[in-house]
Amino acid sequence: MSAVLLIAVPLLAAFLSILYKKAAPYLLLAVSFAAVLLLNYVDFGTITIGGFAAPYGISLVFDSFSKVALTVVNILFFLVSIISIWNYKKLGTVLLVALAGLNGLLLTGDLFNLFVFIEVSGIAAYIITTTNKKPLATFNYLVLGTVGSSLYLLGLIILYAMFGTLNMADLSLEIAGSGASNLVTAFPFLLMFIGLGVEAKLLPFNSWVKGILGNSNTLSGPMIAAVYASAMAFVFGRLLTSVFVFSDQLMLIVSIVIIFSITAGEAMAYASTKAREILLFSSIAQAAIVVLVFALGFTGFGAILAAVNGFSKLVLFLVINHATEEVGSDEVEELKGIFIENKLVGAGFTVATLSILGLPLFVGFVVKMNVLKSLFMADKLIFPAVILLASVVEGVYFVKLLVKLWYKKDAPASVSFGLPIAYLVTVIAVLLIIFGLYTAPLTDLASDLVNITQGGLL
Amino acid sequence: MIQFAAIILMMLGLYGLLTQRNVIKIIISLNVLEIGLNLFIISVGYVDGGIAPIFTGVASTNAVNFVDPLPQALVLTAIVIGVGTTALGLALAKNIYQKYGTFELDEMGEE
Repeated sequence: MSAVLLIAVPLLAAFLSILYKKAAPYLLLAVSFAAVLLLNYVDFGTITIGGFAAPYGISLVFDSFSKVALTVVNILFFLVSIISIWNYKKLGTVLLVALAGLNGLLLTGDLFNLFVFIEVSGIAAYIITTTNKKPLATFNYLVLGTVGSSLYLLGLIILYAMFGTLNMADLSLEIAGSGASNLVTAFPFLLMFIGLGVEAKLLPFNSWVKGILGNSNTLSGPMIAAVYASAMAFVFGRLLTSVFVFSDQLMLIVSIVIIFSITAGEAMAYASTKAREILLFSSIAQAAIVVLVFALGFTGFGAILAAVNGFSKLVLFLVINHATEEVGSDEVEELKGIFIENKLVGAGFTVATLSILGLPLFVGFVVKMNVLKSLFMADKLIFPAVILLASVVEGVYFVKLLVKLWYKKDAPASVSFGLPIAYLVTVIAVLLIIFGLYTAPLTDLASDLVNITQGGLL
Repeated sequence: MIQFAAIILMMLGLYGLLTQRNVIKIIISLNVLEIGLNLFIISVGYVDGGIAPIFTGVASTNAVNFVDPLPQALVLTAIVIGVGTTALGLALAKNIYQKYGTFELDEMGEE
């Protein structure tokens, strides 16, 4: 099976779903489930589109990195769809376009093609967030997203003017071969970094996040915070490992942006009293940590961290957004004691938070442990310090949140989660524990991903 | 020279985005930014004295001074995407107007 089908079939289904509106949700579920199933039968390699060979035409790259990325994003997408589509049946078509865009983001080996898919998935994301009924926040998101992708486009066109190619693999060879100094390439790289940083929620560029995720529902919350966030993390991973050359001053700027995102995100999460705000600010910090891990060159563990964060965020946002919809408020004080009657969901939620924290027994620990170990051995002490400090702050507010959600003396808020959410949360929690104890597959995967070819084969 | 014009247009668009407090004017600023960007992309493929990159009776070999066709193809795509975002922005503007009864961000009260 060719990887093109992962983009083409959802797009085709999107057109079909306009003709048969009633069937749209079923079409969505069928297509996204088929994508998850058939992913294992896709052949590795580079696919040429339109008959022009790689550096000239657009190429899609299906290597071990994009396979991991596609698996994670497609599974998350399917889970979010199957749980939330029934309340938002009108969005079937948009979600199919989103699936095509996200798969394209992860597959493409061409910088301009990446821009197109950013816009396709972005426009789908704007429409998904209109279900929050906060048009102003969505408008803010649209303006920031468009400016961000315009900056990305400007950066890539400057690179094209300098090196005459848009193919990622070819570009990295050209840059290495031309002997261009790091200062020359710093400007376009910085523009592209800022452009992608808008979508990836890095701090100075992410003022849309509060309006969107702070008012999110069971569809838009998990979709933006889990599916889109992990997709953008993988895109960052691809670009940071195969195209961008960060060194000297540029690395300094990027490090400052990332460290600022981590510390400020954690601080704002600590200061929030609303459950959704705690989660969204903490997800800003998490996204920055993933980008940091990629920027420092840990492709394998970065990918695993992005995947683990995606699944954990899915659990957190699903549970909190569902509880918020039933209780009618997302103040932590109002949500006190929601887990007393829902012990299973509560246990899953707790496992997901503890895994994000990086406590032993859970997957998050394996990743953080390995990354920190190699950073200490490489004598780069500032980054481990920031990551550890962030974990401490995270520990404080997450434990505070958990205690409040678990205990209340009189009249706890009553929320019924229903079977699908309870089942999903439990399965993910069990998987987080299993892979936290049985770490061999993860470390194998991480060392496997180190050897990915630069931006795919030519 | 045309690149300066393009960059000035882009800066104008950014200035508009930062200073305007009216939803429609923000969308227009976004468009000015995109037009500047498109002009910049076209200017990258410009060749002095070049002709359109089409094989014709006059220009039948690669030896002729063609302009770079790739930026033109890119701009075509970028224009289409820009129109899509503008349309979506205007639809959102309509929603905003229905909810708040005004296009001025300052008069909306909350947020």
